[in-house]
Amino acid sequence: MTQRKWLKTSLAVVMASVLLIAGCGSNNANNKGANSGETGDETAPVTYTYFSFGSNKDITASDTDIGKKLQEQTGVDWKMEFAVGDVSTKSGVMITGGDYPDVIVPEGEIDKLIDAEAFTPLNDLIEKHAPNIKRVYGDYMDKFTAEDGNIYVLPFSADQGYISDPNIGQGAFWIQRGVLKEFGYPEIKTLDQYFDLLAQYKAKYPTVDGKDTIGFITFAGVKDNFFTITNAPMHLAGFPNDGGVTVDMETHEAKVYAASDIEKPWLQKLNEINAAGLFDPETFTANKDQYLAKLTSGRVLGYFNYGWQVGDATNNLKTAGNDDLRYVALPIVYDESITDQYIDPPAFVNNRGIGISVSAKDPVRIIKYFDNLLTEENQKLVQWGEEGVTYSVNEEGRYVMDDEQIAKRNDNEFKRSYGWSYFEYSWPRYGNSSVFADGNSYAVGNQPEVAFAGYTEGDRTILEAYNIQTFAEPFAAPQDRPWFPAWSVNKEQGSAEQIYEQKSGDVQQKYFPKLVFAKPAEFESVWNEYVAEFGKLDVAGYEAFMTKNVKERVAGNW
Amino acid sequence: MGQAKSSRKVYSTVPDKIFDTFNIVFMIGLMVVTLYPFLNMFALSFNEANDSIRGELYIWPRQWTWANYEYVFNESSIFWATFISAARTIIGTITSVFATAMLAYTISRPEYLLRKFVTIAFIFTMYFSGGLIPNYLLTKELGLLDSFWVYIIPGLVGVFNMIVIRSFIEGLPDGIMESARIDGAGEFTTFMKIVLPLTVPALATVSLFVAVYQWNSWFDVFLYNSSNLKLSTLQYELMKILSTSTTSTGTTAGDAFANAQGSATAVTPTSIRATMTIVASLPIIAVYPFLQKYFVTGMTVGGVKG
Amino acid sequence: MEKHTELTVTAAGTSRFQKYMTALSKQKMLMLMSLPFLIWVFIFKYVPLWGWTISFQKFRPSRGLFEQEWIGLANFKFLFQEEAFYRVLRNTIVMSSINLVLGFITAIVLAILLNELRSIMFKRTVQTISYLPHFISWVVAANIVQSAFAPEGIINILMLKMNLIDQPVLWLGKGEYFWSILGATEVWKNVGWNTIIYLAAITTIDPSQYEAAEIDGASRLQRILHITLPGMKSVIVILLIMNLGHILESGFEPQYLLGNGMNVDYSENLDIFVLKYGMNMGNYGLATAAGMFKTVVSFIFLMAANSVAKKLGESRLY
Repeated sequence: MTQRKWLKTSLAVVMASVLLIAGCGSNNANNKGANSGETGDETAPVTYTYFSFGSNKDITASDTDIGKKLQEQTGVDWKMEFAVGDVSTKSGVMITGGDYPDVIVPEGEIDKLIDAEAFTPLNDLIEKHAPNIKRVYGDYMDKFTAEDGNIYVLPFSADQGYISDPNIGQGAFWIQRGVLKEFGYPEIKTLDQYFDLLAQYKAKYPTVDGKDTIGFITFAGVKDNFFTITNAPMHLAGFPNDGGVTVDMETHEAKVYAASDIEKPWLQKLNEINAAGLFDPETFTANKDQYLAKLTSGRVLGYFNYGWQVGDATNNLKTAGNDDLRYVALPIVYDESITDQYIDPPAFVNNRGIGISVSAKDPVRIIKYFDNLLTEENQKLVQWGEEGVTYSVNEEGRYVMDDEQIAKRNDNEFKRSYGWSYFEYSWPRYGNSSVFADGNSYAVGNQPEVAFAGYTEGDRTILEAYNIQTFAEPFAAPQDRPWFPAWSVNKEQGSAEQIYEQKSGDVQQKYFPKLVFAKPAEFESVWNEYVAEFGKLDVAGYEAFMTKNVKERVAGNW
Repeated sequence: MGQAKSSRKVYSTVPDKIFDTFNIVFMIGLMVVTLYPFLNMFALSFNEANDSIRGELYIWPRQWTWANYEYVFNESSIFWATFISAARTIIGTITSVFATAMLAYTISRPEYLLRKFVTIAFIFTMYFSGGLIPNYLLTKELGLLDSFWVYIIPGLVGVFNMIVIRSFIEGLPDGIMESARIDGAGEFTTFMKIVLPLTVPALATVSLFVAVYQWNSWFDVFLYNSSNLKLSTLQYELMKILSTSTTSTGTTAGDAFANAQGSATAVTPTSIRATMTIVASLPIIAVYPFLQKYFVTGMTVGGVKG
Repeated sequence: MEKHTELTVTAAGTSRFQKYMTALSKQKMLMLMSLPFLIWVFIFKYVPLWGWTISFQKFRPSRGLFEQEWIGLANFKFLFQEEAFYRVLRNTIVMSSINLVLGFITAIVLAILLNELRSIMFKRTVQTISYLPHFISWVVAANIVQSAFAPEGIINILMLKMNLIDQPVLWLGKGEYFWSILGATEVWKNVGWNTIIYLAAITTIDPSQYEAAEIDGASRLQRILHITLPGMKSVIVILLIMNLGHILESGFEPQYLLGNGMNVDYSENLDIFVLKYGMNMGNYGLATAAGMFKTVVSFIFLMAANSVAKKLGESRLY
């Protein structure tokens, strides 16, 4: 009897739920209907769809301050949607279905989407409707025009002028400030000096809070971040981050540096410091949480990383307030004769951007929206916000921010509600290193006044000790490399070059730990084994491919 | 129940007591290692995210905060999504278990001529798949995109579950179905009146499998209904929140400023993931005891009930 | 002459067919109860099989079936000529075998031990708690495993205290330990969950059998061996056959998350290989080819296992 009652109750629940849900499916279609068709009216309110393969919280643009202002100017609103889960699956079904959002930010899926003819060519639209796009992108057009002569996406890195970042967010050898303080802020230039200092400090303070002091660690335990340890020798030899190759300044030959004389001293040194007990063996097994926990523990004296990989840890240390436990970036090279090139030269990344899809209802209206976004005024809005509210202008006409404004500019919640999270990137824009016509920096973080205002007491102490103004000052200025970055050279899906990259990465992942942990006497034989294994790959073919592409870029054909 | 207890007393010999003691000690050990991950998630979810980065957090929060839960529940969409999750779990479980049991019944009848054909046709499907793209196109052609039914129909029959139920039906004493047939009951009546009530432990087990599967599913939402907020499920909304928390920590060029300025993050993927684990799994765990009573029993239940 | 035979065959065929149809028509109700699902399985499982053609193509999702570029067996050749393929195949088979054997034994043993507990309350509590790790995502589980096996993790601390090792071991950095660690992890995560089905099987055992055993003065071990285990046997055999068909499914996430450069020779399996060279490079063809290879192997194992069970007179799958 009870069983039957149970059955009846559940049936009732089922029916009720069905009725409730029945209406859900169709709603969406109605929405779409309202927006379709070209409108004669230039500012009639419309809502278009924006899909990004990056990640963020879905939102309607007009719910943000910036989106609202842009809507007032143009009548256009956006339903902004972001990828969740595996992006290549998402792009696969999007292409299969053939039904695209109005604009797409393809990120890493760009090749597949272009190949699928998902984007509408922009050439004519720009010519007819977009003076600002022409102004901003004019000099760079060749670099992102596809081989068929069409423009499919507008990249995010069209610099207007150049100003460098006062802080180091890129790759560097980092050292604990306490170590520098202990030895009276010495100048450290070479890898030998760097490790010597760490060794001396560790000998003096073998434990921290009862646990062993860790001399040096880097981030090689997570597969897709293994490049951290493989990229280091490229920087040590005085090259910027070109990926798996170094490019000769004169001949523009691209050379693979893995298993070469550039890589050997790095691994030899790691092998040496491992034997000396200075190297943390967890380098190759720690996951990201474990790694960040180590960096925040105060036990680590030095590490190599790209700044953005470890932002959580460095922020945590800054908040904790003990400046001796924080780190400072050093431009370490193999020997003093080498000029470091850690800072990226002005780069044009042509394989990231935003495009209008072939399903877009009114491409003209959209290109006009893009064009309007690129006025100097709106570009200030998307980076700095409103004068007097989110930033101020001093007597010299410089943009400055007080502590509260800086805090807000960094507060994720505020960034969302104001719209910076949605509009400062991933739309047609100036490049990050740009300078406005009035001489102020485009990116907030590049403005020296703002950067300086954010320094702590400890920051200033160390800057004074080295007699420098910014943390980037000890780093050499980047040299002009018209092909940079070589890693963005487009490789066809599943091509020999892609397979080479996968395989070379596999060989390195396998041999790096072997080389580092080998007994010093056996290093040479393991190295030879590694070189032999690496030699089985088509290195020459890959170099030829990269050289060809680099040379074409130098000649202006991107 | 009382009967079981009294009958057990016969075994209270010395080796039996030793065995029982070891068994209990072993079970306690098992509980310690299997409870740990949940306690760890609990600690992480109630601990200040920025502090959790330091690690060494085990079963108790170091710096209590509600911030992680606030961050998750701040997303108003998850309330409706929870309802959809519950709906798909209830409807999906009832339809799937009923359909699967019915099918299992037919292939358990030895005299059924299509028995072997049907059985093999289903079993084979466990070992192949046409792949993602054909499945997507099929769903699209059937008009199941942007619809609630895409959660129910493609998963209607579970082959594994079908086999499980079949083997339970085959384990029933032969006489029972025969006597029903002598009483003039048709196949459907036999199935409804005799087979279903007698296979309750199997049905409860299978219901649990299906319900957990339904509750945890997010991939079909991702594939078929990702832009329709009204059909989103709890798991999928939590996935979204998680992927948003990843961006908060600044990996894009624009966020380099945030890193340089040292803004403390309010949430981290690790703390959000822990919170998600608690939020998403507590409801389904709460359902468990209700189903459990059907398959964790004293020895009197089961077999042939009057 | 020839024609004549043909006719008789057809005639015999027809009559047999007619007989069959007559018999079948008496089973209308059973047919009505299963045919809708037969249609369902055809549409949802067999129709998408056209996707296997992708393995012979340089597949581009934007093109229709007939606009694709056909490349013959190139994807299969890449798979079988790749040196690494055989290493990942070995790892796959070893890991799935370990999971199969360990998974079965631990779940059955736990089910029996639970069944031997006297207090129903305690039994339910243990059972509820032991299945909790099943609800933890692999990302979280892998994180816990990595912490436990770290040089300063609990495993090293305990083993140092018990003098089993004299200095901390980098467990996840030693390939030869990977399979054991993975096996233990799988058991820890899934044993409680896997037990459920055996517990359900135990409930079907007629309690009068236990009563009879008591009267005969059977020991607890005898009772387990002669009543409980045989009562679970058919479920065990059926599950074993089904799982043998999954011999090339060793999981993906745990290997991917716990794997690193130091244990890659042992941790990388078929699914990771396919991800690297297939999905990550937009090569759906390779992924499909690998899937077809798996299906073929599955069928071989499935049929072999089923016929062995048949010969031994055990319950079988079909």
